[in-house]
Amino acid sequence: MANRTDPAAKSIRGTNPQNLVEKIVRSKIYQNTYWKEQCFGLTAETLVDKAMELDHIGGTHGGTRRPTPFICLILKMLQIQPEKDIVVEFIKNDDYKYVRVLGAFYLRLTGTDIDVYRYLEPLYNDYRKLRMQSADGKFVLTHVDEVIDELLTKDYACDIAMPRVKKRWTLESHGILEPRKSVLEDDFEEEEEKEENEQMDGVENGGNDEKDYHHGRSPTRERDRDRRPDSHRYRFASYLLQIGIRFIFGSRWWLNCFLQDRDYDRDYDRDRGRGRDRDRDRDRDRDRDRDRYRLRDEKDYGRERDRDRDREREGRDRERRGRDRGGGRRRSPSRSRSRSRDRKRRRSPSPRKNEAEETKKKEKKTSEKKEKKDDGTDHPDPEIAEANRIRASLGLKPLK
Amino acid sequence: MLEVVLNDRLGKKVRVKCNEDDTIGDLKKLVAAQTGTKAEKIRIQKWYTIYKDHITLADYEIHDGMGLELYYN
Repeated sequence: MANRTDPAAKSIRGTNPQNLVEKIVRSKIYQNTYWKEQCFGLTAETLVDKAMELDHIGGTHGGTRRPTPFICLILKMLQIQPEKDIVVEFIKNDDYKYVRVLGAFYLRLTGTDIDVYRYLEPLYNDYRKLRMQSADGKFVLTHVDEVIDELLTKDYACDIAMPRVKKRWTLESHGILEPRKSVLEDDFEEEEEKEENEQMDGVENGGNDEKDYHHGRSPTRERDRDRRPDSHRYRFASYLLQIGIRFIFGSRWWLNCFLQDRDYDRDYDRDRGRGRDRDRDRDRDRDRDRDRYRLRDEKDYGRERDRDRDREREGRDRERRGRDRGGGRRRSPSRSRSRSRDRKRRRSPSPRKNEAEETKKKEKKTSEKKEKKDDGTDHPDPEIAEANRIRASLGLKPLK
Repeated sequence: MLEVVLNDRLGKKVRVKCNEDDTIGDLKKLVAAQTGTKAEKIRIQKWYTIYKDHITLADYEIHDGMGLELYYN
């Protein structure tokens, strides 16, 4: 009785709205104590209270796939089918971020394409942190705009399959939607201009940043980082286009930066437009990341960086000349430069850790190369070759 | 290299070639590639022991030709 959909509810996508959640997950929710105790006889108003008590999002977790309260409330909403106004209110409310995400999720499941884009895209500007429980039970940090991005781009979230929505450009070409204008677009263009200007100056303003680094993350920086988690995507595209040739400090280093999102965000906030400083900051970031809990010898660090700075300036001039002459990427100057910097970094306060990372990186590179050559797809036995091909596509090592 | 048999007793029986040092998560990916279900939806059990994703086959003492139960989440 408690699990039956409201008879007055209309069918969604041709079926009982509760069928949007798959049978197995649905049964798991029905057997869950949170559902049985808290979600019994909920109405739209009391649902709001329950939603305000949420403190994490997620699908199912653990070996037996226990559902989270979030997903129980989603099923409850599907069962009682609140009005669209109520859902929009959920989304518009600013105080409770989990209520917002709950509303957004429900709208993504039940709303029309236009509604989905119209109501969910403003939420891209919400940068607040969320706690998400992953499938193995651990809690991970995510942000509201990341979750919204998942909802709009992926077709599976929180163990619920998302219904298909039309692509944005289809709606744009029909004139139903406006092309998307990001709030960050103006900031982004400003920064691009600033970068180009300030790179020519070559003023070294490292002093202030130094102090900040040594004292750990300042609260303002935290806020900045929280405020702009999406900018790194645009930043990276811009780098590739404009500055890719200039900042060729070894592709590994780029890979490193790209993989370490945290460093990336930190870079953006601090180095708005200070190209030179950005390089230095990246070096420092790597060191700092590694040595965060170690005492630092500030004098040595300053000296190191001065030397780095000079080396980099030389390198950059060399680079520029090279670029003017030949254009395109030159591996050797960058490689030697990065090697000299590696040696420099090794002498910094945490030599052992640096070395370990360097060797690990080198190993990874060589092993990657090796795997590409003999990942077993050229095995004489066709079955094994086939199996190895599947394994390679999944990212696993070949069969032994 | 060993070959494991996964059976869900509803008609799906797959034989998967894998290494001993593969984790259960990797095995689920291979099974997903062969059967078409998503890897997150697969549950591998042996009687009532649900096999965890991060443990290798060698640690679970899964040998060549062994049969495992295939369930869905």
